[in-house]
Amino acid sequence: MHNISFMDWFYRDEPAEAPEAPAVTDAPLTVAEVSARIETLLDSPDLQDIRVLGEVTNFKHHSRGHLYFSLSEKGGGSTAAVIKCVMWRSDADRLAFEPEDGMEVTIAGSVRVYAPHGTYQIQVKSIARGGAGEKYLLVEKWKKELAAEGCFATERKRELPAFPARVGVVTSETGAVIHDIRTVIARRYPVEIVISPTAVQGETAHSEIARAIERVAGHVDVVIVARGGGSFEDLFPFNHPDVVRAIVACPVPVVSAVGHEVDVTLADLAADIRAPTPSAAAELVVPDKKDLRLALRELKGQMGAALQAKVARAQDDLTGLRDRLRPQRFAKKVEEKRQATADLADRLERAYATRCERERLVLSGLRTALEGRSPKALLARGYCVAEKDGILVTSVDALAISDRLSLRFSDGRSKVIVERVDHDGNL
Amino acid sequence: MTETYEEKIALLREIIQKIEDGSTSLDESMKLYEQGAVLVRQCETLLAAAEEKITTLARDA
Repeated sequence: MHNISFMDWFYRDEPAEAPEAPAVTDAPLTVAEVSARIETLLDSPDLQDIRVLGEVTNFKHHSRGHLYFSLSEKGGGSTAAVIKCVMWRSDADRLAFEPEDGMEVTIAGSVRVYAPHGTYQIQVKSIARGGAGEKYLLVEKWKKELAAEGCFATERKRELPAFPARVGVVTSETGAVIHDIRTVIARRYPVEIVISPTAVQGETAHSEIARAIERVAGHVDVVIVARGGGSFEDLFPFNHPDVVRAIVACPVPVVSAVGHEVDVTLADLAADIRAPTPSAAAELVVPDKKDLRLALRELKGQMGAALQAKVARAQDDLTGLRDRLRPQRFAKKVEEKRQATADLADRLERAYATRCERERLVLSGLRTALEGRSPKALLARGYCVAEKDGILVTSVDALAISDRLSLRFSDGRSKVIVERVDHDGNL
Repeated sequence: MTETYEEKIALLREIIQKIEDGSTSLDESMKLYEQGAVLVRQCETLLAAAEEKITTLARDA
């Protein structure tokens, strides 16, 4: 048979460890080095913990309890692809049925390299019967339809509210899930939890879940749809279009915590945010009061600092004003005014004195002029005034011989008698 | 009630901004500070609220 050697290595319980790859040099690689590289490549997450749908071929139940078979996929009438599989006894013992050639199954497991034979195989952890395989196909079909409706579009994902007042939880009202969510929320932030109880598995679970979402949506700011771990079958209701459409139609954001790393349900894909566990979902929907307290303290400090800065500024202003009001400054101002007044008084006095002096000069001039015209001055200069019978004689015509005249000098009088009278014309 | 936590914080930020603004008078700033201090206390009280409130909706028949 063509697969004798392959059966040989299958008889080993565990594949041997490949040697460590040495550093790359220019020398040709050894077979072990290349094999180690292949092993590293196949260790990718894409090939670990995967589910594979296919038909069982070459099935062999070994006497030691291990199962050996191949998974085939038919295409165009012939076999399109085959992958060898092994299921160790420890896992095989848990199988509830005996697989057989031609059976359609969905296996879960990881790809492993077996270096001594240069082959790879899937190490199978669990096998689900053909019916489950059909369910996977159904989920794939739903996924395509719902994706076409835009249910998984990233652009319709909504932001969670920063401070929800009420959190809706759609889950079973008993069990660890609701307990975990309550515990986390209570520790982080005081908020009202509105539980919308529902069955999470069973034939009608999907419509119950969908109704539970619709029921709670109007009462809360955010909804958590959660379920504890379970098999693909257990999680199946969360793939149903009823649930997906209820999540999409929910007027407030939805956080899902349904599947696990490997078992992403369509509900998870439709949710606005997917959380790995119910506790993680609870952490996503409410802020942590520790952080909030910290932020609040910061704001408080900022406010105090702002006011202090303002008071300090006001104090500076006040000091400035007080300086300007100081008595020295005031006295100086008065002194300045007084000086100005004194200057003015000086100027006034000087102007007055100048004016007086000028007036005095004018007056004295006038007096001199006046005095020059006084009769006494004339007399003092040697003139004398003649009077006859007390009347001033101004012409010789008034005189006759022997008239008695009185002559007035500056310093006295005398009596004279006229001897002769001559007119100027007669001389 | 908790939606007002958000509002209170927003108000608090507004108050701080006003106090920091040079055109707000000292008198006004002191009043704002008092208002802010009340908000801080209220927020602290909100966060300190320990009791957990649970409502369970009735399943429809």
